[in-house]
Amino acid sequence: MSEALLPEALRVEPLVEGDVSLGGLDDQVRGWIERKPPRSWYIAITITSLVTLMGFTCIGYMIYNGIGTMGNNIPVAWGFLIINFVFWVGIGHAGTLISVILYLFRQKWRNAISRIAEATTVFAFICALIFPAIHVGRPWLSYWLFPYPNVRHLWINFRSPLVWDVFAVATYFSVSILFWYMGLVPDLATLREATSSKIRKGFYQILSMGWVGSARNWLHYEKAYLLLAGLATGLALSVHSVVSLDFASSIVPGWHMTIFPPYFVVGAAFSGFAGVVLVFAFVRKAMALENYVTLKHMDLLNKMVLSLSCIMTYAYLMEGFTAWYSSNTFIRYIFANYVFGDQWWAGCLTIACNCIFPQLLWVPKFRRSVPVMVFVSAGVTLGMWMERYTIIVLSLHRDFLPSSWGVYIPTPIDFGILLGSIGLFLTLLLLFLRKLPIIATSEVKPDIVHYQSMKNGEVDHG
Amino acid sequence: MAESTFGVLGIFKSGADLLKAVPKVKEKGFASLEAYTPYPVHGIDKAIGIKKSKLGILVFIMGTIGAVSAFLFQWWTSAVSYPLRIGGKPYNSWEAWVPAMFEVTVLFATFTAGLGMLFIFNKLPFFGSPILKSKAIAATTRDRFALLIQPTGGLLDVEAARAALLEAGGTDIEILPAPDLTPPGPGWWARNLAGIALVCVAVGFGTMWAIKIFPTVKPMVEMENQAKLDAQKADGFFKDGHGMQLPPVGTVPRHYMPILAKSPDQAGKDLVNPLPVTAKVLQRGKAGYDIHCAVCHGYMGRGKPLLDKFYKASPANLQSSTVMNAPDGYIYFVISKGKGSMPSYEADISSKDRWAIIHYVRALQRSLHAKEEDLK
Repeated sequence: MSEALLPEALRVEPLVEGDVSLGGLDDQVRGWIERKPPRSWYIAITITSLVTLMGFTCIGYMIYNGIGTMGNNIPVAWGFLIINFVFWVGIGHAGTLISVILYLFRQKWRNAISRIAEATTVFAFICALIFPAIHVGRPWLSYWLFPYPNVRHLWINFRSPLVWDVFAVATYFSVSILFWYMGLVPDLATLREATSSKIRKGFYQILSMGWVGSARNWLHYEKAYLLLAGLATGLALSVHSVVSLDFASSIVPGWHMTIFPPYFVVGAAFSGFAGVVLVFAFVRKAMALENYVTLKHMDLLNKMVLSLSCIMTYAYLMEGFTAWYSSNTFIRYIFANYVFGDQWWAGCLTIACNCIFPQLLWVPKFRRSVPVMVFVSAGVTLGMWMERYTIIVLSLHRDFLPSSWGVYIPTPIDFGILLGSIGLFLTLLLLFLRKLPIIATSEVKPDIVHYQSMKNGEVDHG
Repeated sequence: MAESTFGVLGIFKSGADLLKAVPKVKEKGFASLEAYTPYPVHGIDKAIGIKKSKLGILVFIMGTIGAVSAFLFQWWTSAVSYPLRIGGKPYNSWEAWVPAMFEVTVLFATFTAGLGMLFIFNKLPFFGSPILKSKAIAATTRDRFALLIQPTGGLLDVEAARAALLEAGGTDIEILPAPDLTPPGPGWWARNLAGIALVCVAVGFGTMWAIKIFPTVKPMVEMENQAKLDAQKADGFFKDGHGMQLPPVGTVPRHYMPILAKSPDQAGKDLVNPLPVTAKVLQRGKAGYDIHCAVCHGYMGRGKPLLDKFYKASPANLQSSTVMNAPDGYIYFVISKGKGSMPSYEADISSKDRWAIIHYVRALQRSLHAKEEDLK
């Protein structure tokens, strides 16, 4: 039945809008790469790369002069570096969840946003991996984290959650790069044929490995995509679970909880989706993507943020309930300390940003309003960072013995490294937006065909 | 003619047109078909008769290998090569190995899926496909769909194929020449092998730099260059200028049993060998004897030094009747306190090992002076 004959409430909103065509999409993707970037791009990348440079200067200063230049000390031995690590790994989860879990659920709206979301995964992981590497104190020896045959005849301790973490994060990072690259291959082949420059053609020829897009190519490609999606789903769920075990397998009150693995995974997805909303709120406009990433996409992304916020709120309540029900003085004290203690603002900011502000998104108009979604998502990003601050710093600085209580005061170096990682993320994102196909054209093209036939009234809902 | 043709290609406007064209072309008796599309057109594989992808089987096998090898590796390192007791658990408590095992399984499986798809099933990278040189490829990676008729059993009627494609609605018919499949010459091999060798050398030097030279520059050496006393080096901190200080007078090591006897004869009367004669003890004694005693006394105890050309003293012949008749305690005293130019071995050989060496010396004596009843 033709879409136009249905009453308005029953009509399915199309995934693309306006005047779109298969070739038009290719031309737009190629245009971003071959055209000279606008002045605003140059201004933006100058700022972000200067911030990155500042961050790496802080890292160099810290390595040369020692860990003591940062705020972490006993009892708060895990400071900003571990907070930032958990934060960036969390941001990185959204790309995988969008391109993998939504793929398995056949959510076609993911097609237009999957490429940029996967890119944010890779870049967030590059940022995340810096932190454990410099946190070990002697980063030039951080290859000791891996099991390799050595003259000392030692092996790493496979019973340590920190070692599981090394395996989980290293696997996730390499798999997300593989997944990203595999998706790029057909698009690079398209670029190879479309570009007029000889140097670019050779470059894309090598990167696309001579992909021709035959029926056999696509058959194996789709099979590999499905297999990778299934495997990466388990991987994505496992990674933040393992990160949470770094905390949960210790006996520190506030950490030693069975809810931690699912709680961390939801938190990761939550902050990741908020990060993706933030990125698209700007990229949609700046790259003229409105025809492909419509307000419907933003609406759906905001629904994800809202639902994850509700699960997050439930997890917070459950944590509080566990603390009360355990009748354990120390755990009860730590949880009271989160919101009523000397750093009460950390716990309160977490709850306000993660539980209260996202409730705005219940209103359909707000889900399609860019200022509101920027406010909410920026809030969630800040709130999730504060949540990790609360978990790590506030749990550590008041443990069992009041005689070993301490305070944690971050130094300018701490803030410099945090800002630098944000700068690095944005620099990589800006480079990506100008140098690689930012839309998975081979995935969006069927949607365009479907949209065109729908417009012509010859739709088959297949 | 047939051998020099890769195939005949026609262009279609949409995926639906392509799907409709396939049975029409098949009716004409062309069996080897291939399609080139800008995105996966579902159903085309069945229409042109491609079997299902076997990638899943490979991924399952490699994933299983990943799981098993990760388990065995963790078992070997934690329970065999470097057994370490952690939390009072048995060495082979496998529960803690599950997370790393899971990650390695996924790693193996995903890389098999991704790289296996590209390298094994799609045989990439390959830059020699005639399609890459065709006019159609620019359109088929953009918004057009192409159907290719390939020779069946080496034979293809080009004109009939062109007609069939035109009839099915194809346009822009193109006849593609067969690819040049002559094997690469020695120049190709030389270039590629030299390139690989160059990369190996560069990686080798890079690794050497990263683990041998880089850690020796500041600030990487600051941990070694801190203010501390070195055991083997002079230091101004103590009055005598030594980094390592002697223990106070009268210090006795743990498990140290002083010999109270004043002479070897006295010791021979006082001391009895506490060890039983077992194969284990004799082996321990042989090891100690070969390390400490054989240099001077010889492997058979005949008193002929292994270094006799350079060694002027005359070590005792352990096979002599004096030594054979001396009690164990006598020999124990000589090893511990030295005799003549022989120094004390008290600090080098533990008390137990000294007694084991004595058992071994007795065995050596018996082997060279065997009596008739020993043979029974």
